[in-house]
Amino acid sequence: MNFINDLLKIIGDFIAGIIQSILGFSPFLADLVTMGLAAVILCTFAALSFMGLTYVERKVVARIQDRVGPNQAGPFGLLQPIADGIKMFTKEDTTPATADRWVYNLAPLVIAIFALTTYAVLPFAPGVVGTNLNVGVFYIIAIGSGSIVAIIMAGWGSNNKYALLGAFRTVAQLVGYEVPMLLNVLPVVMLTGSMSLIDIVNRQTTLDGNPGIPFIVFFPLSALIFLISGIAETARSPFDLLEAESEIVAGFHVEYSGMKFALFFLGEYVNALAVAFVFSTLFLGGYAGPILPPYVWLLLKAAAVFFVFMWLRGTLPRIRVDQMHNMNWKFFVPVSILHLVVVMALMKLFVTSPAAAQANGGILVTPIVQAAILFTASALVLIGSLAIAARRARIMRLQEEALVAQRRAENIAAVSA
Amino acid sequence: MQNVLNGIPLWWYLVVSSALFCIGLYGVLARKNAIALLMGVELMLNAANINLLAFWRYLAPASSGGLAFAAFVLVIAAAEAAVGLALVISVYRVTRSIDPEKLDQMKL
Amino acid sequence: MTIQQAIFILLALVILGSAIFVVTTRNLFRAALMMMLTFFGVAGLFVLLEIGLFAVAQVLIYIGAISILIIFAVMLTRGMQGMVPRNSQATAAAVVAGIIFFVLLLLFGPLRTTVDVARWPVISLIAGNASPRDVGGIQWTPAGQPIPPVPETYIADFGRALVDLNQYLLPFLLIAFLVDVVLAGAIFVARQRRPAEVIEDRQRQAEEAAEEAEAMRQAGMKPDAAALPEGAVASTADH
Repeated sequence: MNFINDLLKIIGDFIAGIIQSILGFSPFLADLVTMGLAAVILCTFAALSFMGLTYVERKVVARIQDRVGPNQAGPFGLLQPIADGIKMFTKEDTTPATADRWVYNLAPLVIAIFALTTYAVLPFAPGVVGTNLNVGVFYIIAIGSGSIVAIIMAGWGSNNKYALLGAFRTVAQLVGYEVPMLLNVLPVVMLTGSMSLIDIVNRQTTLDGNPGIPFIVFFPLSALIFLISGIAETARSPFDLLEAESEIVAGFHVEYSGMKFALFFLGEYVNALAVAFVFSTLFLGGYAGPILPPYVWLLLKAAAVFFVFMWLRGTLPRIRVDQMHNMNWKFFVPVSILHLVVVMALMKLFVTSPAAAQANGGILVTPIVQAAILFTASALVLIGSLAIAARRARIMRLQEEALVAQRRAENIAAVSA
Repeated sequence: MQNVLNGIPLWWYLVVSSALFCIGLYGVLARKNAIALLMGVELMLNAANINLLAFWRYLAPASSGGLAFAAFVLVIAAAEAAVGLALVISVYRVTRSIDPEKLDQMKL
Repeated sequence: MTIQQAIFILLALVILGSAIFVVTTRNLFRAALMMMLTFFGVAGLFVLLEIGLFAVAQVLIYIGAISILIIFAVMLTRGMQGMVPRNSQATAAAVVAGIIFFVLLLLFGPLRTTVDVARWPVISLIAGNASPRDVGGIQWTPAGQPIPPVPETYIADFGRALVDLNQYLLPFLLIAFLVDVVLAGAIFVARQRRPAEVIEDRQRQAEEAAEEAEAMRQAGMKPDAAALPEGAVASTADH
């Protein structure tokens, strides 16, 4: 047994052993206590990573925008998150007089709970997973919709028109982007034949004795759309319409201060990190990788994905509401459905297991060939749809420009007359 | 001689779902707001779902019948909510009221 | 009492308590939130039944979609907040619901602790000479026997059953068609009509009313004042 590689599992077994034998609990109770401990550790990890991520994000975005970022608190500003935390703790905790008190005060709690429950099904290393749900992927998407509830609660409970506007935007955006997210998880689920995240990682790790291929190679289009809708789902820039400072002050959390505000912030970051983890698990092979221990690989991949998030945040301007909806309903959803149909047909036509070929017909190919075929199809759909979208966008832009020019001419004529 | 799973007899589920159904029924009959009425309907559909799935689990877990019916109920519930709320909003826009008792004219 | 029983009782209390709150409260927004709690409780029951798929589907569809839709409608009809929660027939409704609950209790409740398929009248009727235990090719669990676990592959089996011509393909297609129709219908009904369309409509209505009045006058009758829609041409401001 490789000690370093199975470190997490060994620690887990050790603690479970202690609880069961020394404390003398029944196996069921010992399970319960171990599970509780694991949950506490996971939540702590998420909260700590939140502190770290705020620092890293501010540094990275500052670097992108040619600034320095936090550099006063501690060496390189490393103590900035702690300073922020102290500031949050010591701020006055206010509740608006006309707020719906129960709803208003529960909302931050709900968002934090939903953000943290996602981590229950993530496999961090072989055998290290909260619970191996056979509907893991489905669970993640379902739990993701929970943050919508929290945001609506905050928006309504604050009894503030900007907060309510933010909540309205949230519903439209988050419900909308769940659709392409689900549609693009489906190819992965179909190829694996299981919704369990562990099975999905295993399918990418080994394939009939050969080293597996990450699903991003099979379905580049799915990976791209999943990533973008993941950003939209966590309401990060450029999809931060629901808290756009310049339009609706801060959206749903405009009335919150102190620790309640910090909880919203935590929910946002923990959700974003969860999307990074899920993306790494679904499309980048999860904890699989050579030399380094598995959990390190998963963290590296998630960090890389999160870096892309920060990069986009530092570079792109916020998109408009109509652009956001048009992109989702007129581009992502139809393209995803088309992609799904194409991929489905190809998966039925080119099979890798002899048993399936015997049972349902189809051409028997090696996994590499299947991957190549699926990649080509997915990439073709991606390039084709992008080309069509680009053409359409150009036409629309020209029309808009013509309209603006016409208006301007009219105005000039009106003024001179 | 009971149908028992994990120490829970089947009739526990049936009683809970009956109670939920009747609460939903009261909501549908007694509420004065069309949206609250829809909520009552959703509760009733949920009660039906509990029944379907409990019967499936206790009596025929090897088949897929209960699951299929429960899935259809889910879809119907979603469809009902969509159409119902579209109607409510459209009516509210015209009459500024969603009290079913006041909507007694064929012509708006 | 096993731990599952304790969880069940807790969930039942949550479900029924929040459901009662939903149908009695005056604040519709809180009612919708409490309804979410009810749905969560029901999802918990599905977990106890070992049907993870439906627990998750319950969360995704009921909480993630239906409840949010309802909250959205509550927000859009803000003018209706705080009106009296009960209508004139509330007492009668409570009595009816109570009676139905009583009847259901007699049917399902502790008085009938077992459900045995073989004794169901319909089943024995269909079964005829065959054993009532394999009606419809389904293996029914006899009362009093241990309940078999859910098959490992129940999700895949369920999926296949939905697209199997001999099982549920037709209902599945019908449901899919229904959802399509509903989507289009909901959009059509809730669509905000453009002011131009509204004006056009009103003008047409006015013309029709005028024609009708003309026809009536020609027939020698007095034109009915009610036939003219109120403010037929003038009031388009509220759109």
